Amino acid sequence: MAAVTLKNVIKRFGVFEIVHGANIDIDDGEFVVFVGPSGCGKSTLLRMIAGLEDISDGEIAIGGKVVNDVEAADRGIAMVFQSYALYPHMTVEQNLSFGLRMTGNPKADTERRVKRASEILRIAELMKRRPRQLSGGQRQRVAIGRAIVREPQVFLFDEPLSNLDAELRVQMRVEISRLHKELGVTMVYVTHDQTEAMTLADRIVVLNAGNIEQIGAPLDLYDDPANRFVAGFVGSPKMNFLAAKMVGADNGAAVVELVNHRGARLRKPLSDALPAIGGDVVLGVRPEHFFDAGQGDCDLTLKADVAEHLGSVSYVYANSGTGGGGEELIIEREASRHRANGDDLVVSIKADRSLLFDATGARIR
Amino acid sequence: MRYQNATAYRFLAPYLLIFSIFWLWPIIDSFLISFQATRTVPWRFAPTFNWGRLIGDPAFFNALKNTLLILVIQVPVMISLAIVMAVLLNSPLLKARGLFRFAFFAPVVVGEVAYSAVFRLMFNLDYGIINKLLNSIGLPSVDWFTNVTPAMAVIMMAVTWRWAGYNAIILLAGLQSIPEDVYEAATLDRVSKVKQFFYITLPLLKPIIVFCAVLSIIGTMQLFTEPFLITERGGPGGGTETLGLLLYRQGFRSLNFGYASAVAYTMAGLAIAISLVQIWLTREPK
Repeated sequence: MAAVTLKNVIKRFGVFEIVHGANIDIDDGEFVVFVGPSGCGKSTLLRMIAGLEDISDGEIAIGGKVVNDVEAADRGIAMVFQSYALYPHMTVEQNLSFGLRMTGNPKADTERRVKRASEILRIAELMKRRPRQLSGGQRQRVAIGRAIVREPQVFLFDEPLSNLDAELRVQMRVEISRLHKELGVTMVYVTHDQTEAMTLADRIVVLNAGNIEQIGAPLDLYDDPANRFVAGFVGSPKMNFLAAKMVGADNGAAVVELVNHRGARLRKPLSDALPAIGGDVVLGVRPEHFFDAGQGDCDLTLKADVAEHLGSVSYVYANSGTGGGGEELIIEREASRHRANGDDLVVSIKADRSLLFDATGARIR
Repeated sequence: MRYQNATAYRFLAPYLLIFSIFWLWPIIDSFLISFQATRTVPWRFAPTFNWGRLIGDPAFFNALKNTLLILVIQVPVMISLAIVMAVLLNSPLLKARGLFRFAFFAPVVVGEVAYSAVFRLMFNLDYGIINKLLNSIGLPSVDWFTNVTPAMAVIMMAVTWRWAGYNAIILLAGLQSIPEDVYEAATLDRVSKVKQFFYITLPLLKPIIVFCAVLSIIGTMQLFTEPFLITERGGPGGGTETLGLLLYRQGFRSLNFGYASAVAYTMAGLAIAISLVQIWLTREPK
């Protein structure tokens, strides 16, 4: 087991800078998830920790030892690839033991490790099969098993569940969580799926265009995002953003008026400096933070276009503007069978259940 | 349905006609000819005339020996060389990859007569560059075309030069289909590059290697141009005469079509048999 530290890590491909100075401290035994949209640099960051990509600048340390110039094989890490990267011509058993056999590890120890991995992952009955004879989930288990037999200090996962169907993804997610508890090893996991990030991580690192937007525990990111990107990325369905204007200040509170709802004003107490009067701001409201009419601080009249009934809850897709020109909002409602056909829907928002962002997307607390 | 089939066959008819006349009939007819004595007028049916002669003909066995010798030595050497070339072409360290790819493939598009003339000049006893190079490192000149072993070596070198690059390009396509992350996984498994080549690259490339080997076996069984042009009709003294050349000599010099047909069918049969054995030996375990 080992801690992983990234200090001002930069990656350039030619003249293009892909990762702009990443600073991350991953504690020993922690499960950290890198999450972000495609092309944000999360996989590159993981591959730099693995040693499969050189770093252009900065420092990476594993277990307190700087590994910038240490070969990938000697970093004490094991990686699970998105495509599983199993050796197609070898049986499961050979796949698991290949690395150990090639490096002259004692036979008895290799057998012990392979047996342990097969028991942990419940793949003992698959040992004589080849990868092409396995399902996606079974292949993924073998890929994880191959990482386990190395007994690494750090496990790296590069979008390991993205090739699996939805049901299997949930199942494997639970398995990986269980595995982390069982092994207690540091795990770094890359995904673009924020649900995976929320359910697996001790801490999440949110990346966007090569920058770290925020690092924190899943619910901290959900409740207290640092900026509009994180607020929008974390949470499903995503947060609603309503265009607003700063229209006044009242005893340390900002008074904002919603642009697409004439006369709808909200008084929001802030601890930061208040934005300038007349300036553009954005109000963020999560789908579950819309209340029945009159129950909040400010009522909004919307046109409900579509309703999705999931059984436990319903999501109403509504347009906030008069005449259909405003924001598309997603509103969580109690489960119902009501079909939305452009009917009016009045909902209420609360100041303490909404977030304020300035025009650049930075949070105003 | 039957009407549709009939329409389809009417559209196919021109092709089927040409195929039948120029492909199917010659294949059948040459097989029938191999059972006829064709040096009498008119030809007469004599099943053992050509096939019986084949079994006891020293010229046939000489040609068979030469062909198999080339097959056993040249094909493995060429395939090995092609694998090395493909690996080098696939290396990320290589600059101007397109140029090298073209250069390796170029011998295939060079005219056979032109390249044979160049090889004759290169291996010329008095003026050839090969003997000059041998002399420059203190070795005596070799009379490449009047002794059987050196003449055979020249044939093998020429065929290897011409076809190694062609096979390398096919193998390169195979190499490029091996996913990069398999090598990355092996690297993280602490497997050295050399072991990665022997334990990952070669096994995964096996179907392509077998394909190249089968193509080369078929090509070698039909070998004609090099012994005809470079060593002057299988010289010295039939020392480099191959089955292809024997077929030509019997068919077109002696106009003994029956015997030439028997030789042709023997060549095809051997190529099929050797290729099947090759495929069977290298088959994937279930």
